[in-house]
Amino acid sequence: MDQDFVGLASDCQYWLQKLSAWDQSSTLETQKDTCLYLPQFQEFLRQMYEALKEMDSNTVMERFPTIGQLLAKTCSNQFILAYDESQKFLIWCLCCLINKEPQNSGDSKLNSWIWGLLSHILSTFRFDIKEIGLFSQGLGYEPVDYYPALLKNVVLSLVSKLRESHLNGFNTQRRMAPERVASLSQVCVPLVTLPDFEPLVEGMLTYHGHEPQEVLCPAFFEAVNEAFLLKKISLPTPAVVSLWLRHFPSLEKAMLHLFAKLISRERNSLRRIECFIKDSLLPQAACHPAIFRVVDEMFRCALLETDGAPEVLAATQVFTHCFVEALEKENKQLRFAFKTYFPYTSPSLATVLLQHPKDTPQECRLQLLQRISQMLREAVEDQACGSCVDPFESWFLFIHFGSWADMAAEQLLRSETEAPVAALLWLLAFYYRPLDSSQQRAQTMAKVEAVLSRLQLLMLSRSTPLSAKELQAATGEGSNADPTQSVCGQLIRHLFLNFLLWTPGGRTIAREAITLMACTDEITYEIIGFLDQTLYRWDYLCSEAPRSAKLARELLQELQAQV
Amino acid sequence: MEPLLQQLERFSEVLSVSGTAHVSTWGPETVRRALDWARYLRHVARRFGGHARIRSAVERRLRSLWGPEGRGLTSFQALGRGDVQLFLSLLRNRALGEAAGRALLLQLLPGAGPRDADAEELQARLARLARYRAALLLLREAGSPGGERPALAEDPVLLTQAQLLLGRLREAREAEAGDPGGWLGRVWTRAPRDHFLQVAAVALLQPLEKELGASGPETPGEESQLLVRWLLEQSEVLAAFCRHLPAELLTSVAGRHPALSRAYLGLLTDWGARLHYDLQKGTWVGAESQDVPWEELLLKFRSLWHAPPPLQEEVLAALESSRARGGDFEVPGLSVWTDLLLALRRGER
Repeated sequence: MDQDFVGLASDCQYWLQKLSAWDQSSTLETQKDTCLYLPQFQEFLRQMYEALKEMDSNTVMERFPTIGQLLAKTCSNQFILAYDESQKFLIWCLCCLINKEPQNSGDSKLNSWIWGLLSHILSTFRFDIKEIGLFSQGLGYEPVDYYPALLKNVVLSLVSKLRESHLNGFNTQRRMAPERVASLSQVCVPLVTLPDFEPLVEGMLTYHGHEPQEVLCPAFFEAVNEAFLLKKISLPTPAVVSLWLRHFPSLEKAMLHLFAKLISRERNSLRRIECFIKDSLLPQAACHPAIFRVVDEMFRCALLETDGAPEVLAATQVFTHCFVEALEKENKQLRFAFKTYFPYTSPSLATVLLQHPKDTPQECRLQLLQRISQMLREAVEDQACGSCVDPFESWFLFIHFGSWADMAAEQLLRSETEAPVAALLWLLAFYYRPLDSSQQRAQTMAKVEAVLSRLQLLMLSRSTPLSAKELQAATGEGSNADPTQSVCGQLIRHLFLNFLLWTPGGRTIAREAITLMACTDEITYEIIGFLDQTLYRWDYLCSEAPRSAKLARELLQELQAQV
Repeated sequence: MEPLLQQLERFSEVLSVSGTAHVSTWGPETVRRALDWARYLRHVARRFGGHARIRSAVERRLRSLWGPEGRGLTSFQALGRGDVQLFLSLLRNRALGEAAGRALLLQLLPGAGPRDADAEELQARLARLARYRAALLLLREAGSPGGERPALAEDPVLLTQAQLLLGRLREAREAEAGDPGGWLGRVWTRAPRDHFLQVAAVALLQPLEKELGASGPETPGEESQLLVRWLLEQSEVLAAFCRHLPAELLTSVAGRHPALSRAYLGLLTDWGARLHYDLQKGTWVGAESQDVPWEELLLKFRSLWHAPPPLQEEVLAALESSRARGGDFEVPGLSVWTDLLLALRRGER
């Protein structure tokens, strides 16, 4: 305990020096420095209060001889008083200094000095040449009544000044000088979370002066971004877009904030992920290519860092889904070419992938899948064309629209017509193992094709019902004999799960088969992910497969209850 | 109901007393009890805020109490923050004894009052007050460095005070307290005059919308009508209003309120009639020092001259009829109206 006090006492010295430095001049530089330390100083005040509340006045003065000086200086620093809850902790600290049983004139003097400080920070003030207090008291209003209204009016008046500066750029009379806008942005740092302050924040964010450089200070952007991410303020979308366009570190922070929400210890369902993503306003903001590119770059890094973790894959896909939706909503006629969003890949491939499967009739989907497979293959494997794109880039583009891969797997098992098996298999082999050589990919395809034909054989007319064991044997699951099997294990498991959902025989033994299959936690989570993703996709495609959907939903619930 | 109203009456008295030297007799226990009382009434305000009947009964009673000092409770809304009001009133009052003062400050520590789950605590409200104060000081500096003043009609301070004034007028109207003239007169005699006039003018320019702390449906514009009526009845105030406010502001107000514009033109005509032509100086001068000088008269007319119709036509009509009454001269130096018209037309070219 005493150790803590030693630490606090030295903190006192440190902050006293800082406050004195801030006190001496009120330049933009000192203001910047003050704003930088606001959260830290608030935390110090909080700790100080926690320590002081246990002590009597005399002990406080003994242990922290400079505390009075420190608090007095704080009382005259408007940045600190305006910030978040600092003024509350300050008031509490001051009250802790009060001597409850004054013995001598020194004690009384101390109390009256505290009284003075509190009166000062709670008093009315001369806002302008005229005494607002007198008039307002004449009308019977207290500061508590008119400060909020006054702040609102000050905010609105500054907003209209900014708007005028924006419109009358060359009319120097009505214009707010850039230095003034810059210093206003600095002053706004502690204020952004005040009620009714949003119009000014919005006005500043959408204000573009006539100067080539940014006039608003970085701390302002940071404070606004922080408040927005923590939902302390709400801002219209254009203002947020402007914030992220003007200050990329804020955009990166917003993305990291989203990642932290998406990849929490608890596994999120895709619906929940979608809610988080939409709530972040990032898909809407990403309609601006510059923002999209930063966001996409972060998804790329996350995928590379996590070796393609399923959560990141899922987040990328859902994000793309929301982004495309926002793009359509914003403008039917695209303002920017796809090339600006996906500069590293062929524009025609991006165009095909961007087609909404929902708008494609069922019978055309196979053709589209075949086309996608062909185009990707050309891009990845065709050495002859000379312009061979990095396979990772093609894959990274493809996984944005991962539902095409899921649809390919589904088509392999349910299509009544003749499916382009080779093309679909290639697509799947590429999706699951993008960095394989073409030879390795051919091996994978052969293996998967063998499993597929065994499954199809099982489906053919038979006298006895299917058993789960038979099925497992057909897919080669459960036998650890063949180590190459695990290479395409995930792909085979997904085909197998599709088989269980789509064939009548499969549906009857689905539960049993899944129990056999879910031998490790990892595989159980994989199955949960598959079912969730499938249901999510069917939902937005308005797929009509009631029996399969019902089964998938039940299986998902049962598995979720297990983990 | 009656016991509650009596309680209110009693508390309103306490609030009034809290700003006077009487508090020197208060001990710590009195301070605590008064604050407890305020908290209780805050609770009442929250509980019955939605009951129209109780609300209006309370408001009526409060209005009848609203004394010449303008202290005490003024509205049902004010009941919700009686504790803050009481606290600040005592904090400002140097007459409060040492022990009582200590008791007051200790109320700022968390846990000092009874925990009131649904109510924001006194400490939190006072802390927010301090935050607002600091915010306003910061913005003042950033918004107008070096104390540069915005145009009167755009000045947020004046605007806020204008809204407060309209708010009070509305309360007076709602409480059927009848003529608000009494307290308007008191404010006029106590507040800095120029300032009061500026606030009144800005109030008369306010769009018809929900004003500060308004509740319930609005009857648009009635508050400003009350103000106009009062101004028209007070010839001394009206003359000061028309004389001392900037011409542009007066023109805007006249454009909004026909009754005022007529009175304003009437005054301008009276003032003009008091001028005579000084042959030696070759200009129009007043008979007495307090008469409105020619330049000022011209300035005021010029501003009106450029006002949008119908005001513009009215000004022209007033000037022409005055000129006709004076003999319809066309030569300068014979009639102030002819010269005014000539000067205005010259300015137009």
